[in-house]
Amino acid sequence: MQKSTIQFLLINCFLAIVLVSCGSVTKNYTPKKLDKTSYEIPYFAEPKTDYVYKTNITVYGHEMSGIFIAKKINDTTHRVVFTTEFGNKLFDFEISDTTFKVNSIVSELDKKILINTLKEDFRLLLKKEYLIQEQFENESDNIYKSADGNRDNYLFVSKKEQKLEKLVRSSKTKEKITITFTLENDIFAKKVVILHQNIKLRIELNYFKSE
Amino acid sequence: MKTKIYILLFSIIFSTNLFSQEQKMTDAEIASFKQDVNVVAKKIKTLSTDFVQYKHMDFLSKDIETSGKMIFKEPNLLQWQYKKPYNYSIVFKNGKILINDEGKKSAVDIGNSKIFGRINKLIVGSVSGNMFDDKEFAISYFKSKGQNIAKFIPKDATLKKYIKQIELTFDKEEATVVQVKLLESSEDYTRIVLKNKVINAKIDDSVFTN
Repeated sequence: MQKSTIQFLLINCFLAIVLVSCGSVTKNYTPKKLDKTSYEIPYFAEPKTDYVYKTNITVYGHEMSGIFIAKKINDTTHRVVFTTEFGNKLFDFEISDTTFKVNSIVSELDKKILINTLKEDFRLLLKKEYLIQEQFENESDNIYKSADGNRDNYLFVSKKEQKLEKLVRSSKTKEKITITFTLENDIFAKKVVILHQNIKLRIELNYFKSE
Repeated sequence: MKTKIYILLFSIIFSTNLFSQEQKMTDAEIASFKQDVNVVAKKIKTLSTDFVQYKHMDFLSKDIETSGKMIFKEPNLLQWQYKKPYNYSIVFKNGKILINDEGKKSAVDIGNSKIFGRINKLIVGSVSGNMFDDKEFAISYFKSKGQNIAKFIPKDATLKKYIKQIELTFDKEEATVVQVKLLESSEDYTRIVLKNKVINAKIDDSVFTN
């Protein structure tokens, strides 16, 4: 009898955990009528600007630092380069919504899983226009949902400032990647944090002005 | 408008002239240059210098400029410290690399990292100029007004993937390095200009902590 009670409790706990974690990402938000069908993000969109950030990467407890450089090289494509502080290139990508090219990568980082992770992160970060299908709100933000294959991207735009401050990429049930922006002004982010929920990876970018 | 064009033309002609003044050294000149540099390099017990680093990539509108101070003490203590626009310091010491990144500290064992070992050797060699006996490079020698230039091409295929060529520019009078240029490809390079060099000032070992 006691044994079956314990089993019953265990199963219940298990079910509870599964149900909680299966809850929709938007369950805490109130649906709202769409006020726009697309949203443009200006933070990496200016072709004349060299976007240069001091970068710290924490991956499974390991620290790595360097310099992240992004630049829009034509209407659709960004060049993304990561170097050490000394200037050695660690990787050099060209990335658009639909294309991806590795110009170079050092052998230590040349792993398919890593490249695919970075590709997904940078595409999310650099994408200029998100098409919106649904809208929600919470106390502080308007939340725009943009479908992307088997993932959904949620854009959190503060009600007060009318600025995009957070971007969440999720599966139907779980948040996968969160990008937060700290703004210098309307069109420029001085700090960006890319945080992964399913793997232990955090990328922090801090803008620096060259002398 | 016309004046502007003349100025532009003049500067183009002038700068091509400067470039074309880079000439290959004769064998006798190479021998004497190497000797001059070796004499100075041998005397170096400590060395400290300010540096400005320009990272040039063809697709950028502007070079990325960082600057700081480099300190070297015989036989193999080295600190490379960026002060602007951020604080980042790296110390090579007893087979270890100590990093201080805006107060965040970490250490790497060079024993495990061949590349870092090489970097250490390259930096010390580059700054002191004592790289001529390095069998890992094919070296060629050039001269221009007031300066000598040694160009190092890696022989090793792995190193070659990262560094296409290293160019050391020497002041002719002092026989010391004034500029280090690391070429990754024909378009992209890192150029480090050394200035305010002080040789053999007393430098305490405690400087090399991070």
